[in-house]
Amino acid sequence: MSAAADDSRIVVPAPRAGAPASPIVVVRDLRKRYGSLQAVDGVSFEIAEGEVFGILGPNGAGKTTTLEMIEGMRTIDSGSAIVDGIDVQQDPRGVKARIGIQLQASSFFDELSLVELLELFGHLYDRKVDAAALLADVELGEKARSQVRTLSGGQKQRFSIASALVNEPRVLFLDEPTTGLDPQARRHLWGLVRQIRDRGHTVVLTTHYMEEAEELCDRVAIMDRGVIVALDAPERLVDALIGRGFTKARVERLANLEDVFLDLTGHDLRDEG
Amino acid sequence: MRPFGIRIGMFWALFVASVLMFVRNRAAVFFSLFLPLIIMLIFGVLNFEGSTTIQLGLVDEAQNEASRDLVDGLAAFDYIEPTTASRAAQLAELEVGDLDFVLVIPSGFDPQPGQETGLVAYASTADPAQAQVAQGLLQQAVGQAVFAPTGNPPGGVFGAPPLQFESVESRDLGYIDFLVPGIVGMTVMQLGLFGVAFGFVHLKRTGALRRLFATPTSPAYFLGAQVASRLIIAFVQVVILFGIGIWFGLQMFGDYGSLAAIVLLGSVIFLAVGFAIAGWAKNEDQAAPVANLISLPMMFLSGVFFPRDAMPDFLAGITQYMPLTYVNEALRAVVNDGAGVATLGPQLLGMGVWAVITFVLAVRLFRWE
Repeated sequence: MSAAADDSRIVVPAPRAGAPASPIVVVRDLRKRYGSLQAVDGVSFEIAEGEVFGILGPNGAGKTTTLEMIEGMRTIDSGSAIVDGIDVQQDPRGVKARIGIQLQASSFFDELSLVELLELFGHLYDRKVDAAALLADVELGEKARSQVRTLSGGQKQRFSIASALVNEPRVLFLDEPTTGLDPQARRHLWGLVRQIRDRGHTVVLTTHYMEEAEELCDRVAIMDRGVIVALDAPERLVDALIGRGFTKARVERLANLEDVFLDLTGHDLRDEG
Repeated sequence: MRPFGIRIGMFWALFVASVLMFVRNRAAVFFSLFLPLIIMLIFGVLNFEGSTTIQLGLVDEAQNEASRDLVDGLAAFDYIEPTTASRAAQLAELEVGDLDFVLVIPSGFDPQPGQETGLVAYASTADPAQAQVAQGLLQQAVGQAVFAPTGNPPGGVFGAPPLQFESVESRDLGYIDFLVPGIVGMTVMQLGLFGVAFGFVHLKRTGALRRLFATPTSPAYFLGAQVASRLIIAFVQVVILFGIGIWFGLQMFGDYGSLAAIVLLGSVIFLAVGFAIAGWAKNEDQAAPVANLISLPMMFLSGVFFPRDAMPDFLAGITQYMPLTYVNEALRAVVNDGAGVATLGPQLLGMGVWAVITFVLAVRLFRWE
């Protein structure tokens, strides 16, 4: 038996079913239309400080659009988003100064090393950064002088998160942080997100992996066709479903294929080469 | 530090990043820095000098039958290329090295056997060795042309040679003097077009630009840093090209301030073109043909390598309005003729108009995403 049991332990969240007492993100009736497509159709929620908040949904549900409107990366058709007390429509740069953003497809200047990039990003926030410490936090200390293009997929995502942490953000936004990663790299990234949460950062992430949401998120909003269809703690959503008399066609066994895969191939990261 | 609200640290960091990105990008360095250098070295070694024709400036102050016979007679020689103009104009041409000799036919010209002809030829001091040969050839040609109508044999009959020579201090302009300003103009164009268009389109396509604007920085800082870095690189390149040019024998008759001003204005024009392409194109495949379509005709038709005088009239007429033509003309006026930037009215006007056109185009076509 490997460390699988350790990693899959569910961090018991404080049950926060309703609106949090001191929200750091407040979203009210957010809407965005692209041509004939209503991508986001009246989304409202609040996120508490220190929470890991997940936005789940199939591709095209409007997760990324919602996230990018809150971040100030996309204009808002109607509704409002307030981050750390700042209305993103009135002061997008003020919001950007307080948050960290990992874009879905993040790319960096090819010709600069990881250290040079982090220092550059520090200047963009008008602050000095300890690039070595940041890279050590995401276990990329040895790659300090490398360029991003030489990194593996998992390393790129970890660097992307490091770059989003240079300003010690109040809220860290991660857009599908583990898409395309192998199981080892994904679990490794989960560990990193927990560390960031433990240091007091609020984390908002999108994903279409349900086990990822169950592992990481205190609360999840499930989106479909531009609207939120459910919003609660993962275990409460599951309990509610069972309470409605739901039964699985095939009873879940004590282990699944991913557990077999990880047991056979180990938890060590494969992307360090 | 924030003088006038400008974040110096932010600008400086973006500027340094911009320079590093350029210097470490092998393709960009090759096409905008090494290619012009290689072209210059090749043409510098080839050396297209040593033409066998004598550039003869004629000044006909007699305007009689004898003088017209002489002019026609000289035009018949293959190795003489005569032009006719006033004394002052011809001597000016001689001084800047465009003519080898100026032959003055004095008023009342009436050559008689056995008497002095009164003809005076002003000779360029530029290339003494070549001048010796050319003086002999010209002496012979004038002797034949003057007395061919009368049937008298040249030479021997006269107490004096038909032609007296006087030296005029003049410039020896070689091909390198023509080439270096042209290469400088071409480099300014390449840096603006390719240095900006490709790097920027790449950042746009990969999303690196988007990541940059996920921070609280303003696009103005990024654009300012890009422009500043390209200007610095352009000046460094001009210094390198001039250094190598001088090693090849380039003579600088003008002042470096005027040269810098023209390089700056030329860079502004082509940077604007570069940003227009970069802003419009979605990827490198769209940017490349447009950049080449703009740069290639100018490279060959704006007088970078060869004088535009050699072109057919209609082509010369069209190409004189191209931005690089103005830049090259202004650069040559400064480098070859010692003109100050303030005296270059037509070229400055041409460059100014292009700067406005390209700037408006860049602003209109520019898109961040």
